Amino acid sequence: MSYINAMITSGLAFAIPLFIMAVGGIYSEKSGITNLAVEGFQGFGAFCGAVVAVFLGMNTGLSSSAIIYVAMLFSFIGGAIYAIIHALLCIKFRADQVISGVVINILGVALTTFLTTTINTALFGNASNKFTLGVSPRFSVPGISKIPIIGAVFTNIYPFEIIILIIAVYAWYLMYKTKFGMRLRACGENPQAVDAAGGDGAKTRFLAVMSSGGLSGIGGICFAYSLLSQFSPSIYLGYGYLAIAAMIFGNWNIIPTFFVCIFFGIARAGGYQLCLAMGLASIYSDLFLMIPYILTLLLLMFFSKRNHPPKAAGEVYDKGKR
Amino acid sequence: MNSEYIVEMRNITKSFPGIIANDDVTIQVRKGEVYALLGENGAGKSTLMSMLYGMYEPDRGEIYIRGEKVVFKSPSEAAEKNIGMVHQHFKLVDNYTIGENIVLGIEPMKKKFGIFPYVDMKEANEKIAKLSKDYGLEVNPTDLISDVNVSIKQRVEILKMLYREAEILIFDEPTAILTPQEIEYLLKIMEELKKGGKTIILITHKIEEIRKIADRCAILRRGRLIDILDVKSTSTQEMANLMVGRKVELTTDKQPPKFGKTVLEVEHLSVYDESKVEVVKDVSFKVRAGEVFAIAGVSGNGQVELADAITGLMKAGKGKIILNGKDITNEKIRQRTEDGIAYIPEDRQKYGVLLDFNLRDNLGLRKYYKPPFSQNGILKFSEFESYAVRLIDEYDIRCGQGGLTSLRSMSGGNQQKAIVGREIEEHSPLIIFVQPTRGLDLGAIENIHKEIIAERDKGTAVLLISLELDEVMNLADTIGVIYSGKMLKVADASTLDSQAVGRYMMGVTEA
Repeated sequence: MSYINAMITSGLAFAIPLFIMAVGGIYSEKSGITNLAVEGFQGFGAFCGAVVAVFLGMNTGLSSSAIIYVAMLFSFIGGAIYAIIHALLCIKFRADQVISGVVINILGVALTTFLTTTINTALFGNASNKFTLGVSPRFSVPGISKIPIIGAVFTNIYPFEIIILIIAVYAWYLMYKTKFGMRLRACGENPQAVDAAGGDGAKTRFLAVMSSGGLSGIGGICFAYSLLSQFSPSIYLGYGYLAIAAMIFGNWNIIPTFFVCIFFGIARAGGYQLCLAMGLASIYSDLFLMIPYILTLLLLMFFSKRNHPPKAAGEVYDKGKR
Repeated sequence: MNSEYIVEMRNITKSFPGIIANDDVTIQVRKGEVYALLGENGAGKSTLMSMLYGMYEPDRGEIYIRGEKVVFKSPSEAAEKNIGMVHQHFKLVDNYTIGENIVLGIEPMKKKFGIFPYVDMKEANEKIAKLSKDYGLEVNPTDLISDVNVSIKQRVEILKMLYREAEILIFDEPTAILTPQEIEYLLKIMEELKKGGKTIILITHKIEEIRKIADRCAILRRGRLIDILDVKSTSTQEMANLMVGRKVELTTDKQPPKFGKTVLEVEHLSVYDESKVEVVKDVSFKVRAGEVFAIAGVSGNGQVELADAITGLMKAGKGKIILNGKDITNEKIRQRTEDGIAYIPEDRQKYGVLLDFNLRDNLGLRKYYKPPFSQNGILKFSEFESYAVRLIDEYDIRCGQGGLTSLRSMSGGNQQKAIVGREIEEHSPLIIFVQPTRGLDLGAIENIHKEIIAERDKGTAVLLISLELDEVMNLADTIGVIYSGKMLKVADASTLDSQAVGRYMMGVTEA
């Protein structure tokens, strides 16, 4: 029983940051900009949050919980600013969106590693490539958390999980109910329609890509505060790509993508718990951690046909084209 | 300021890299009239209107709206002056409803609980329903764009302008994609709009429409304004000559046909597409030597698949294809061409030529593997060259550097001449033309039509598949109308008029 509870609790803790990264991917792709850069966005966003957290921890008396919230805010800002590069390359300079995404990812690893080492040298005098952050405190909902199985959902929750869900609800509302969302989705199908109707397609896409970076950044810092308990190059574990896969199975829709992320999270945690339950040596746990990726491959084979990606995604949009 | 005119464009010049699209063009449009811009492809009509609509800014010249000088930086600034445009390629979002497409860009907003803003589609749909009633534009605002036909999409584009309270309506080649009945409907709507006090500017290269609807007509040729005519007092032939810049023949002269033996026989042919949908349904017909058999139909009714099945690009699902008495239903493509099928495909740049190869190599594509073009697997470029020189001369292919001209740098009309020449030189008993004049201008069309009739008179069987009703009526000896994959009607061309063919194209079988 405790294995199942642990599977659910840690599965959710993994799934929810993954989900917000996938929502970030959706924002960009629904606006017509292919986004392979989620990995880079989340890493750079997490880096910005971590720098702020380290700085605040040294210079202020803020509690570690308060610092986490400030770090999340700065991860959003940092990710959004980093995403400007992708937006400029794809929208202003009409670069190939896939190549731009890959470049953003490679640049992200190199840049954050270099900056981390530089900052550590300056502040602490040692050239470490990581910022130690610790793990966020967790809480359980009194009462409900005692119910068998279902209770696991309400046990040992990271506060950021709640914040992410609130942000995701708002992101859904923004995309499907407002003017901005209506134009954003239209840009992904036919940007000419938006321009001809007097909306500014380029501006809408720019904002969408920046939102994408910001949301991915939040996902990144949450992994730094949970799975990794630090910011280091190990944050580039490929979760950004997993988020893209979740987005694709979710057919670029926020709600189905949520369930796909939960599924990935449970599968990953389940594999880990299975390894423990079978009493296998820890080297095998790596094998079990492959489960989400193998699932990704299988699902890609079966689901790709039915999917409807945004029609204009990846196409360089030339306003003068008729 | 002289405000007799609602729109004045004075001395407009606009150039793009390599070409001058508009050269010192001046037009003046009165309120409430239908003003036509007539010209061939590339004459600069669309460019001129794009400037009025704020898509481009002119290099030189001035634009006045209601006597007031304006400089438009974007379409939304033009929209503020009540100018709207129906583009040739619709600018609609497929997975949005008609209503959502109409309000996109000027969405009516409301606030839920006084704080959460949202787009109020209910109010928008009511307003759209009213507009569509006022002008006789039937649409259902909650239908998805992907579920409606082109005629309705066009109505949506018109409603988009009306919703924005446009007074000056620009139509860019609005009839190019419509059936004759839909064209009638559109012209009626235009009348209705004119009655409602709207000013209409119509871009077209079809003189018939101008005769039916326009008050005045400006003729553009190669970016220059040639003349401004009063439509009532000018003949069709005069307009055509001015548009092309020389005397043109609007209908092709032809002798009565001399039919020979049956060359192509299609028996109960069915073709299935990738998702196993039957796109050609039990089609049977015969094409004789010396006959132009034309298949008319609205785009997407199985014509392309039918041609692909005969040439071998698609597999025949059921039925037989017989060429000169030989069953070729399961032959490979090369075998079919050697048995005697020449093919001018619909998408010439995709299936007809290799754009990045030069003209010489493109002309040799049918023969490269046979002597004398190839000896023991080695290409003889001297043969290619002399062959190309002959074809360039015989088919009047205009090219800058002879056989070494890259196809990409040639105009669409000359690319088509090259394909037609190459295919005719096969001297095949059967030639299939699919949309042979698509995107070509009047001069080039005239030329291709002459070639088709010349082939027929030589005793070749010609299968012509065209979306242009005029082309079918002009060339055909026998007409088959295809609708929804079925051959709805096959008859001698002399027994059908264009109205009747138009009805069959819509799927109407009773008279």
